[in-house]
Amino acid sequence: MRKVIVIILAILFMIPVFWTVSSSLKSMNEIYRYPPTIFPQEISLEGYKNVINESQFPRYVANTLFVAIVSTVITVFISVSLGYGLAKGTFKYKNFFLEMVTITLFITAQVIMVPLFVVIQRLGLIDSLWGLIIPAVFTPTASFTAYQYMKDLPNEFLESAQVDGANEWQIFLKIVLPMSRPLMAAISIFSFTWRWNDFVLPLIVINSGDKFTVQLALSALQGQYGIPWNEILAFSVLAIIPTLIIFLLFQNLFMKGLSAGGLKY
Amino acid sequence: MKKIDIVKNRFVFIVPSFVFHFLFYLLPIILMIILAFFSWDLLNTPSFVGLENFKDLIHDKWFWNSIVVTLEYTFLTLPIVFVTSLILGLLLQEENRFSKVMRVFFYWPYMIPMVAGGTMWKWLLSRDFGLINHILVQLGFNPVSWLENPTSALFSVVIVQAWILSGFMMMLYIVGLQALPQEFYEAASIDGASNFQKFWFITMPLLRNTHISVITLTIANCFKNFTVVYIMTTGGPGYATTVAPLYIYQKAFTDFRIGYASAGSIVILLISVVIAYVVRKVQERDLEEGKI
Repeated sequence: MRKVIVIILAILFMIPVFWTVSSSLKSMNEIYRYPPTIFPQEISLEGYKNVINESQFPRYVANTLFVAIVSTVITVFISVSLGYGLAKGTFKYKNFFLEMVTITLFITAQVIMVPLFVVIQRLGLIDSLWGLIIPAVFTPTASFTAYQYMKDLPNEFLESAQVDGANEWQIFLKIVLPMSRPLMAAISIFSFTWRWNDFVLPLIVINSGDKFTVQLALSALQGQYGIPWNEILAFSVLAIIPTLIIFLLFQNLFMKGLSAGGLKY
Repeated sequence: MKKIDIVKNRFVFIVPSFVFHFLFYLLPIILMIILAFFSWDLLNTPSFVGLENFKDLIHDKWFWNSIVVTLEYTFLTLPIVFVTSLILGLLLQEENRFSKVMRVFFYWPYMIPMVAGGTMWKWLLSRDFGLINHILVQLGFNPVSWLENPTSALFSVVIVQAWILSGFMMMLYIVGLQALPQEFYEAASIDGASNFQKFWFITMPLLRNTHISVITLTIANCFKNFTVVYIMTTGGPGYATTVAPLYIYQKAFTDFRIGYASAGSIVILLISVVIAYVVRKVQERDLEEGKI
């Protein structure tokens, strides 16, 4: 009984996905037929072919991958470094800096979009892929996770390295980084997903079509006149595949959330 | 033996993060406050206008409408997410194969990029070619223009937001339910409590912490939402689904009224801060009363 309810609810949750995949496999002729067919009468890859051949789809993927990978590398490095400094350092106003990270958890791009645009413009990053990377590398969630993780890192390792005469950089590179592998993996996975799915920043930063990210291109496609829906839906399916694969591979990590509790060195 | 001095400055390690933090969080907030006193179209020199933007804002009926729409959007989504995620959490709390597999289906909408998710729903709700209307017609009802009618458009974007958030909140309930102490249930069974009584008088109060997290996160997520509405209705029909962040976006990037949009952003930021503050107070009060 319980299982039946769960399965019915899961089917309800998956209806939008089912309808999208089913429709994306219809020919242009069939997709605009009234009344609609539930399953495609004849599987047609027309939508997918048109998206890949006629739009600049490979370009959008390349742009998004570039943005997601570069910003993820920077995010991992600065977050781990920040977490280490905040958790194992003893400088003035440390709590003030910690409080600053916490506050940013409440500030989102949607709320400060207008002045953020002005800052990005002054830095000359409008309509550049770097304008999607540099403003996004600091994230409060990754920083906070790194801080939590570093707090639990045993001091003995750092102390014994100091006794052996290692300097700060050697300690960071040879002890802290290797011990942070699970943390770095988790931040990478989350950061990549955030950047791939991001929409607000590309919307305000990018103007030219050849610099569109996948999500921005999907949004722009719907503003154009005469683009058939089988193409729009094929594009949607392609746009969700990369993060679906990452989600299925790392589902435990995602469902537990990015909390240090689940990470062990 | 000399105690090793591990006290190290290590300030240098936080510098890179705080450069970015300053440029893209602090500076925009400072700039937002300054720009709110100027009139600026991004091209000409900004001119100082004093409190003019705020005065206009007070009389801007569509701005206040967008705040009301945001609140409606948030507080219509909240009960749906609350009930759905609690039910899903109760149904899937056990750690077995079936639960683990099914959780993926409910959580997945949270992982789908909102642009793609919104697009998918738009097609599902299409008047002539959508599955929902097709089923309604089969059942003998008239087709509904879901996104063209003000009430059903708001209802539609609320459903999509609930679809996105419920699986995520379900995981919070699963974690909360798994941490509940079993003694209470045993005692209640001895006293002859029914399943519903156990749920209502034991489970619900003990989940108080999880309820607070679910409510806070749902409000925060709804309040900032922009993408779902932008994709599905662009705020329409009329201003029926124009949430506050979307209104600000239009003022800034369609009308090029940067100063005015900044003034509006300050109001939204203040409302978010008030909400965050109230929630924090509730949590602190709970801490003092030892409920956590």
